[in-house]
Amino acid sequence: MYYPAEIYVTPLTLVRRERVLPAPGEVLVRQGEHVEPLQVVARAELPGSPSIVPVAHLLDVPLARLKKYLRVQPGDTVEQGQSIAKRGFRTVEAPVAGKVKLITRGRVIIETPPVPFELQAYIPGTVTQVVPQYGLAVETTAALIQGVWGGGGAPHYEAWGVLKCVTERNDEPLRAHTVDLSCHGLILVGGAGMNEAVLEQAVTFNVRGLVIGGLAPELVPKVQQSPIPVIAIEGIGATAMSEPAFRLLKTNDGREAAISVRVRPRWPVIRPEVIIPVPATRAPLPQRQTGTPLEVGAKVRLVRAPYMGAVGTVVALPPQPRALDTGALVHGAEVALDGEGPVFVPLVNLEVLR
Amino acid sequence: MAEEQPIGSILLADCGTVITRAVLLEQVAGRYRFVAHGEALTTTEYPWADVSEGIRHAAEQIEEVTGRRFFEADGDIILPELSGRRGVDIFAATASASQPLEVVLGGLVRDLSLASIQRAAAGTYSLVKAVICRDSSESVNEENIIRTILETTPDVVCLAGGTEGGASAPVLELVNTVTLACSLMDPGVRPQLLYAGNSRLRRQVAKAVKGQAELRVADNVRPALTVENPFSAQAELDALYIQKKMGLMPGIETVSGWCSTPLTPTASAFSRVIHYLWHLGDPTRGVLGIDVGAANTTVVAVFGGLPFLTIHGGVGSAFGGKELLERKGEEAITRWIPASISGKEVFGILANKEMHPASIYQETRELWVEQAVIREAIRAAMELARPGWRTGEAQPYPHLMPLCETIVLSGGALTHAPRPGHVVLMILDALEPIGIATLVLDVHGMIPALGKVATIKPLAMVEVLDSGALVNLATLIVPVGQARRGDLVLRVNVAYDDGSNYDVDVHYGDLEVLPLLPGQEAVLTLRPERNFDVGLGGPGKSGKRRVSGGLAGLIIDARGRPLRLPRQPELRHAQLRQWLWDVGG
Repeated sequence: MYYPAEIYVTPLTLVRRERVLPAPGEVLVRQGEHVEPLQVVARAELPGSPSIVPVAHLLDVPLARLKKYLRVQPGDTVEQGQSIAKRGFRTVEAPVAGKVKLITRGRVIIETPPVPFELQAYIPGTVTQVVPQYGLAVETTAALIQGVWGGGGAPHYEAWGVLKCVTERNDEPLRAHTVDLSCHGLILVGGAGMNEAVLEQAVTFNVRGLVIGGLAPELVPKVQQSPIPVIAIEGIGATAMSEPAFRLLKTNDGREAAISVRVRPRWPVIRPEVIIPVPATRAPLPQRQTGTPLEVGAKVRLVRAPYMGAVGTVVALPPQPRALDTGALVHGAEVALDGEGPVFVPLVNLEVLR
Repeated sequence: MAEEQPIGSILLADCGTVITRAVLLEQVAGRYRFVAHGEALTTTEYPWADVSEGIRHAAEQIEEVTGRRFFEADGDIILPELSGRRGVDIFAATASASQPLEVVLGGLVRDLSLASIQRAAAGTYSLVKAVICRDSSESVNEENIIRTILETTPDVVCLAGGTEGGASAPVLELVNTVTLACSLMDPGVRPQLLYAGNSRLRRQVAKAVKGQAELRVADNVRPALTVENPFSAQAELDALYIQKKMGLMPGIETVSGWCSTPLTPTASAFSRVIHYLWHLGDPTRGVLGIDVGAANTTVVAVFGGLPFLTIHGGVGSAFGGKELLERKGEEAITRWIPASISGKEVFGILANKEMHPASIYQETRELWVEQAVIREAIRAAMELARPGWRTGEAQPYPHLMPLCETIVLSGGALTHAPRPGHVVLMILDALEPIGIATLVLDVHGMIPALGKVATIKPLAMVEVLDSGALVNLATLIVPVGQARRGDLVLRVNVAYDDGSNYDVDVHYGDLEVLPLLPGQEAVLTLRPERNFDVGLGGPGKSGKRRVSGGLAGLIIDARGRPLRLPRQPELRHAQLRQWLWDVGG
């Protein structure tokens, strides 16, 4: 039995997202409250950076005698240029504005003012858990499409906007001429890849985000520097978007969606995602079994070339290993792809679509 | 005295970053034998988020093969073994799946104390978040040091510096600065401080740190300019890794509840077996173990009975390839690929692999990229490890690899390579071994398990290794010397046990593969040219050696040391293809 990895490309599921502050702060909402995606739900003050002033050295006094020359004490607020110590004609001024955090070993440590940080809800939904000072969880019913690679969009790495499908097919690249003033504030969906001109147009017309099939490797550094968050649903390379993901996005053309381009390969795995909230009353949530063995009939996405991004159905699980073109002998599955006969794929190269 | 409980069956698991392996050992006719193994995806992530699930999945594969049942219906393990082949007498586990210990390293001189503390930190699963060096102009500033610690929030700050009785003022200055940084942090996130510098300053260090951070003390990693002693600091960091990181794996409580002894880091268990193998061979030579995992590359070298463990954290067959590409430059990777390929294409393949770390290449081009990364991952790990080795007489040429009698290879990236020749070529290119060596392959990924079982039932490890758990991959003969391409460097006579024999002339630049099957033995008569050394006592020294066969046969690598690849891409591609062809890849 093989227990495969799983990925979500689903029209309806319960999405729960934890919103955690980077430092202890204040949670502004209560459990059970409804929140909107751009609503600030928690905030914190991130510590400023320390500035160390070697006062004893600058005044040329031994540590034991420093105290009588100091003009400040821990907890004091100082302005930039304010005198913090004086000996005769020698004066030591605060290099930055802030608060005196500590005076130790002849040094005055001034911490610059804290930086306010605000956390938005990211998705509309109900607050189902609050951990005072630290964060909260929001739940909603939604269509969920998980991708492989994401980049750009600093510092939030998230966006909220109306989805607009600008290609007709999943293998059609996003073209620069389709990104114009009408795309202002929208999240654009293209089938396959894109070029640098698309990214430039997206910046020009203040597009909220881009969702494509595969991203050419040479564009990765440019996307990472870009203010536009970009999701490559299938990963890096000239790859069409998988048919189910494209169809789902196309079906939701015109609806509002949240995207996150955060990627983390482990501890824990974080995938870029498109979340399209769906009214809860529309249909009962389907029961899903997760973490179960791979079975014939399972719908799977293939993750390595030459079938990267292809979606198919497992039609057989041969008990014996087979040789690949590379010579590797592996256990695999026979997967029926659209318009093709079954292909043999290593089990580890499959993800079950949930 | 209570009678020792008989142990008839042992189930061992190793929870790697990506793959969890289970191994069943049983006592058969009075001796422990390897019976079966299973592999499954490690389940620390969604949808399982429970490491014990992966062990169950891997054990299920053994159940299918052996008919033995390991678990109750509620998922709990059956211990000890019951009638009807239900359960096992002992369960034990090793793991490398948890997050690494995040460290900031500080020292006075980059090539001395800092290098030593870096090697000490590499003795456990660690991630170096930043390096503070007093001799480096950019980071010497006190404010920068404090910022570095505040921004990286490491688990531990490891400080070294000063030989025994040597420097004191700059060491204490460094300690004071780090302590100041700790005092500015929220008590909940303050790092521990490991002091492994001039031991005469311990009291002053303790006084400086008091109340601001938790202090641990280890032996000076650099007691003299030419002496390195990383072992005590390694032990402290290993203990911290176990305490702070292994316990964070989801589901670890379940696994710990099944184990009769605490979980061990995989690398420590791997090291124990390599150390044992050294005791079986020529004490003047070394034994080397290479384990290429998904996220870490581990090198264990044993010389003169001393094991040197180095983990190159974050770089393995699935993770860290992009960082290697960035750090070493695309040429470092593409030079091993026998076709034109751009750095961008390599980046794309590595980025996708990182998001699907268990996946394997289906196209030859991707296979070449993965094997190129493995070569560089091993080379990077060796660069970190080698300066710390005390090789003694095993090192006839300071600029080359020391003489190793056995080289043990483990890790899925090596053991699952399509052909034995691929593994041989990767190792020859990455390690550039010299002299006569036997390559041994851990085909079932059971070395960490055996290292673990050695702490419970040492006899089981010895008997399982004796029973052929490891597979001979090849015997290597690597002459060392300089010549022109095509010059004769070595004459070899191969005499088989059935009386047949033949002669081979080896020329400079050749990669010869001679047939010698697993289980077959032959006597080699080696007659190197006068300026070539095959490890029989010096240049021109001839001799006889009885050698064993392997999956890839007997390999004579006369390509020269250090290995040089043609600069011109077309020539290099042709050469790499030729070598691949030679070894049957």
